[in-house]
Amino acid sequence: MLRKRSILLLMLVSLLALALVGCGGDKEKAAQTAKPKVFVFGQGADPRGLDPAFVDDGESANPIVNIYDGLVRYKTGSTEIEPALATEWSPSADGKEWTFKLRQGVKFHDGTPFNADAVVFSVSRQLPPQRTDAMPYASFTFGPVEKVEKVDDYTVKFVLSEPYAPFLANLAMALAAPIVSPAAVEKYGDKFIENPVGTGPFKFVQWKKGEQIVLEANKEYWDGAPKLDKLVYKFIKENSVRASELRTGSIQAMNGLDPNDVKMLEDAGLSVIKNPGMNINYLGFFCNKKPFNDPKLRLAVSHAINRENLINFLYQGLAELPNSVLPSFMPGHDKSLQAPEYNPEKAKQLLAEAGYANGLKVTLLTYSNVRPYNPVGGDKLAAAIQADLRKVGIEAEIKTYPWKEYKEIYTPEIVEAGDFMLYGWIGDNGDPDNFLSLLETKEIKSTLNAAKYSNKKVDELLVKARTAQKQEERNAAYSELQKIVQDEAPWVFLGHSKDMAAVSKNVEGFDLHPVGVIYFHNVDIK
Amino acid sequence: MLKYIVKRLLLLIPVLFGVSLFVFLVLHLFTADPAAMMLGQHATKEQVEALRESLGFNKPLYVQFGIFLSQILQGDFGTSLMTRSAVTDELLTRFPATIELAFAAMLIATVVGVTVGVISAVKQYSLFDYLSMVGALLGVSMPIFWLGLMLIIFFSVTLGWLPVSGRIAVGMEPSTITHFYLIDSLLTGNWEAFKSAVSHLILPAVALASYSMAIIARMTRSTMLEVIRQDYIRTARSKGLVESVVVFKHALRNALIPVITVIGLQMGSLLGGAVLTETVFSWPGIGSFVVNAILAGDFPVVQGGVIMVATVFVVVNLIVDVLYAFLDPRIKYS
Repeated sequence: MLRKRSILLLMLVSLLALALVGCGGDKEKAAQTAKPKVFVFGQGADPRGLDPAFVDDGESANPIVNIYDGLVRYKTGSTEIEPALATEWSPSADGKEWTFKLRQGVKFHDGTPFNADAVVFSVSRQLPPQRTDAMPYASFTFGPVEKVEKVDDYTVKFVLSEPYAPFLANLAMALAAPIVSPAAVEKYGDKFIENPVGTGPFKFVQWKKGEQIVLEANKEYWDGAPKLDKLVYKFIKENSVRASELRTGSIQAMNGLDPNDVKMLEDAGLSVIKNPGMNINYLGFFCNKKPFNDPKLRLAVSHAINRENLINFLYQGLAELPNSVLPSFMPGHDKSLQAPEYNPEKAKQLLAEAGYANGLKVTLLTYSNVRPYNPVGGDKLAAAIQADLRKVGIEAEIKTYPWKEYKEIYTPEIVEAGDFMLYGWIGDNGDPDNFLSLLETKEIKSTLNAAKYSNKKVDELLVKARTAQKQEERNAAYSELQKIVQDEAPWVFLGHSKDMAAVSKNVEGFDLHPVGVIYFHNVDIK
Repeated sequence: MLKYIVKRLLLLIPVLFGVSLFVFLVLHLFTADPAAMMLGQHATKEQVEALRESLGFNKPLYVQFGIFLSQILQGDFGTSLMTRSAVTDELLTRFPATIELAFAAMLIATVVGVTVGVISAVKQYSLFDYLSMVGALLGVSMPIFWLGLMLIIFFSVTLGWLPVSGRIAVGMEPSTITHFYLIDSLLTGNWEAFKSAVSHLILPAVALASYSMAIIARMTRSTMLEVIRQDYIRTARSKGLVESVVVFKHALRNALIPVITVIGLQMGSLLGGAVLTETVFSWPGIGSFVVNAILAGDFPVVQGGVIMVATVFVVVNLIVDVLYAFLDPRIKYS
């Protein structure tokens, strides 16, 4: 009898629970849009951590750029540099010492003052001997830094091992570069990675693992209080589920869109942002051996590939057509440059001039998976290029490798296996050097220069740009360099894959920065 | 009885030892080098080697396993490679969410499954019987992942009745007492939070329950059919007992033993199914966490998660076995 009653009770409770829910949904929505202004951003996963020294993933970079500041920051929509926690800076005559004047009156979220000691602390912990293997970006970001010194309370000096202008861009990066509160690192120790304290526009409140991170406005922010009251990063693993959340209005924006969902979201009245990302998808000729050691032949192939078609059909418009190596938002980008246009007749003519009037047989190497710069995968791209080349009498055999192997076997042996390869690059710091040094002779050994392209003048210009004091001098050197590359065609520039984010129509000031993160300082909900 | 329980608890030791050994071997023999994964794209060979050294990967496998075992015995599953915090803490903060979901699914599966099974058996070959058995077949064969997405599209996006994913609406979390949102919100009298938590729980619980619900319904139906044909049921009816008393008191109670067994076993499949359900519904439990850990090569988390789920599974089976004695006085453990 007792058991019967308990079963009945169970049934009743569950029925009650079901009945309760009926009208829950609408009220929740109302609660979210009412004051205070809470912005919920959907991303695919938890950050690995919120200490900039110990992470290398985009999920971490997103909250980090809103909790911390660096000495300098990127301008909106480009990777040009502007002041942040440093108000001015100057390199020494030999380019090896950089002195930064720091902003005064700035406080960390824990109330401790921002000053030269904080900078020295934040950087020194990532320099040898304190640097550990757990700091994935320290050696990139602070690679050229030998030491950092306090000159006075609001002046610091970085000493570099060699003149290196791109160093400034490193200081704007989301990873490794942001300045942390020394007092908080001391207080939390190993747990600082879950209790971040910076000087940024938003203060850390809470991290519920697997669920969300809650930040609140830093009303005393040195660059003006943010317009939102709260910023919540909600973790929703599945792309399509995240898109559903956005459609129902329980989140205001998301990244990581499925290309298939773009139209559905646009039809549902949401804005989809498609910005060229900090990457390049390219085809590299092995310039050190026959047949592609002949620039004429490289140009022939360049003219034979219909790049516009690849972008419009293979990538469905979700990539930008490059005119050279650098994406359009990057300093050093030169509008006057023109990549070889699609012209099969000219290709045939160049082919004949190079001595291959009767056709050419080559091997194209590719990878089997998708890459951030190539969302359709290496094999599909290779097949499309193969078809274009066939039209001008070039027979390209395709060899496909899994990515891990592809990266590892990029050695002298694999170069023997093929004549040209599909590859790409994801930028780190937004500095042109980060892209253009992929064509430097000394990077052949490190395998970064996949095309094994070598040109003395290019090497000289790269060094000149690294040691130049002014950005204009650097840009001039990069323009000259890219003109040489245009004539010698070591690469075919296939596309800058677009980053995407979707956002509600009632949101203002929301943009996906070229480096792939979203700065929320100026975002507002209407 | 007590002796039996102690004996069963002692049996836990070899079982969990076996599970630990298996998980350890699978992860260490067949997964990519976690050191290389941890260090990212700018790592040099020397850095990878140094990290392997400091993590103890260079020691012989049996030494690593010994260290691993001695750590588990102290309740220490090591440090997550992804988050650099203690795996035990990470798992414990997520465990209540998984348990809440699994119990809700169990409740739905049992209540609906047993009810449907009983009605189908009593009204054998009726339209209800046919429909519910076809439904059960669908429930068994439908992939949770797909069902979850369909439920979201229909109930959340199209009808707008229920939230899409997550455990509770942003900003509604009740103050923490037990980490179970339903209990915490009731204890604190936070009615809004309770409603939000229940509305978030329904879709994932239904998706997760579908398979078990179907199995339980079919099992209940077949054992009920068997029992209903027994002599004592005919006797009960001929005594002139009301049909409901015959069905619930005489038939169902005797049909319940095999059903309880199935329910106990289903608990395991619920914990397993939680991996998929949690992934679809962004449910912040152990399942979705372990999936991320597998993808990131975070083996301490995978080891800890699997051992934790295995422990729960074994303990639930024990509880089911003990329950028999209460349900059926004929069963005695000595």
